Amino acid sequence: MNSLLDVRGLGKRFGGFVALDGIDLTVAQGERVGLIGPNGSGKSTLVNCMCGTLTNETGTVQFDGHPMNGLATHERTHRGLARSFQLPRPFHSLTLAENMKIPMFYTVHKRSGTPLHADDIDARCDELLKLVNLDQKAQQRPRDLTQVEMRKLELARAMAAEPKLLVADESMAGLSHSEVEDIVALLKRLNESGITIIMIEHIMSAVMSFSQRLVVLVSGKKIADGKPDAVVNNPEVIGAYLGQ
Amino acid sequence: MRSPVFFIVAMLVGLTGFVCALWIGNDYIFYAGFVVLQFIVLATAWNILGGYCGYVNFGSAGFFAVGAYSTVTLHKLAANTGRYFPDALLPVADAILPLSLPMLIVIAGIMAGIIGLGTGYLTLRLRGAFFAIATLALAVVLQTLVLNWSFVGGARGAYIIAPQSVAIGAYELRYIHYLALTMIVLSVLAVTVARLIERSRLGYGFATIRDDEIAAEACGVPTLRLKLVATTISGALMGMAGAPFPYYIGYVDPGTAFGLSYGVNSIAMPMIGGTTSWIGPLIGAILLGTLQQIATVTISSAVNLLIVGILLIGFVIMAPSGIVGLYSEFLRTTAPSKLNARAVGILVLASYCFIVGLGGVVFGLAAAMGAKNSVLAGLGVVEIVLSLAYLASAYGLTKLDRWSPLFTTATLAISIPLSFTYIWLDSSTLNVIIHACVLVIDIVAIWYLQRAEVTGLYRSETEQRVTV
Repeated sequence: MNSLLDVRGLGKRFGGFVALDGIDLTVAQGERVGLIGPNGSGKSTLVNCMCGTLTNETGTVQFDGHPMNGLATHERTHRGLARSFQLPRPFHSLTLAENMKIPMFYTVHKRSGTPLHADDIDARCDELLKLVNLDQKAQQRPRDLTQVEMRKLELARAMAAEPKLLVADESMAGLSHSEVEDIVALLKRLNESGITIIMIEHIMSAVMSFSQRLVVLVSGKKIADGKPDAVVNNPEVIGAYLGQ
Repeated sequence: MRSPVFFIVAMLVGLTGFVCALWIGNDYIFYAGFVVLQFIVLATAWNILGGYCGYVNFGSAGFFAVGAYSTVTLHKLAANTGRYFPDALLPVADAILPLSLPMLIVIAGIMAGIIGLGTGYLTLRLRGAFFAIATLALAVVLQTLVLNWSFVGGARGAYIIAPQSVAIGAYELRYIHYLALTMIVLSVLAVTVARLIERSRLGYGFATIRDDEIAAEACGVPTLRLKLVATTISGALMGMAGAPFPYYIGYVDPGTAFGLSYGVNSIAMPMIGGTTSWIGPLIGAILLGTLQQIATVTISSAVNLLIVGILLIGFVIMAPSGIVGLYSEFLRTTAPSKLNARAVGILVLASYCFIVGLGGVVFGLAAAMGAKNSVLAGLGVVEIVLSLAYLASAYGLTKLDRWSPLFTTATLAISIPLSFTYIWLDSSTLNVIIHACVLVIDIVAIWYLQRAEVTGLYRSETEQRVTV
């Protein structure tokens, strides 16, 4: 398997605070990777640097064989790197269906080169909203949704961009046990269809059942990377979570 | 409705208005109408950047003045080709100049569009208040440039003598009619462009910029490029609105062209009408523009900005999404899926209360300030208070669910003796007709409110939220 994402020596500071300190991360095509770490360990910063929301000071990000440094977020999205946000950021003035159309208009449309037919877009919208059980609310606005539904919308919108790599940033926080299982199953199905997925999550049962590989960040450093079972038994990881 | 059809229908409406004004035969209608139409273009243009993208532009007057001064420049050049052009170019210049008004508008649009693009490129990294301050600075810089540019008159200003008439085919059209007609075409064009943008891919992109730029980028929206498109279109339309201005006013100086009223109005009109759709600025411009023209005649021209200010503050506090927002909010809370007769009734009532309230403020102020006798002055004050109650109840229809029918009934009932008093004080035919209409509507409305269980129409916000 060749690598889809290749992060080398990624570093980011906020003033004097080192958020990321020389992170190396390689994700192979079709892999399911779990990314965990205590609060403030730099998980979201890593995602933000990968996706271009923040600019990294050192290191490089290579995606699908192309260097991503200097590319704007939307250009990275066009190349197939999509993400959901930890705190849902829906477009409040648009309906759910319109929210779903944005990535189709601006990413899928752009990538395919030919204009998508309006009927195709509507059908795809409906299909995606059905996947996350929001099809009944397609004409409502995000303010009518519960927090849980907003997380689902966030994930569905990231999927609408038809990415090669999907980064799901804590898309399950606050969800019930059965809903977590639904989302994990959904992500697994997506993975089987060929999408590489990085899952950032605190819910260990979800991460353990989902990931083929687990990466642990602590204080901006990668301290473990390997098979989930081996990683969670790693004394350093246990120490980071429970204290020495 | 598709855009070409919309354009034709809107043109027909505009032309009907034009023919009606011709039929009435009073030139003042054209002078007042020109200003209202000019504000429609300005407000619509402002809304493309301010409403659709959420970037507040305080420098509208700057773009407007660029349009006005591009006309002044070309007019000056045309008047003295021998002086400004070398001999070799003279025949060419004489052949091209003077340019027709539509050409001047196009050139003004290009000039202002380029300035819009440049400003956008320099300032769009700023957000919120900082962007607003930068646009304000742009207007100041442009004003300083014009003040020190003696070719266009500098601080002295420039006199532009408009021709008496324009020949269109075999028909001689008076110049003010020609100006009004041009402005009708321009405003229809602006509204059509705004409507087209709103319903296109571009419009959705603009909306995502307004809502959340970071999320928009993550969805693949090229935000910087779209914002540049918005500033360019917005700036170009503002410049186009300014192009005919020198011929209308006859004398342009930096103080007029960069006037406060353009900056304030082009913000206030969309805010009051509603910023999320093309119809908001249109409603706002017609309402406020007409109100200002009436106030200029009835009270004084100085009270214009006061009215705008008060209304703007009122709307920002009570109904930040404007008139259009109030209506859609109302529809959402009453009959989200289907529009039944009751909902329409309430809507009509709310708009009636609103318009009467606005009229009350203007005429009440006029009566209170220019009163010949104490009864009229007292009535004026009552009217002001009452119209504020009207306004509140029109608003209350959407928010204070429980009290609004009672409130509306009370204000309607009080307006009945008031109308009788007005008829008693001034028995001119027009006044009697107006107040007779008010009386009839009041009575029908009260009857309606008592008959239909209006309260049953409302469902509280909390009830709406509880959905399984």
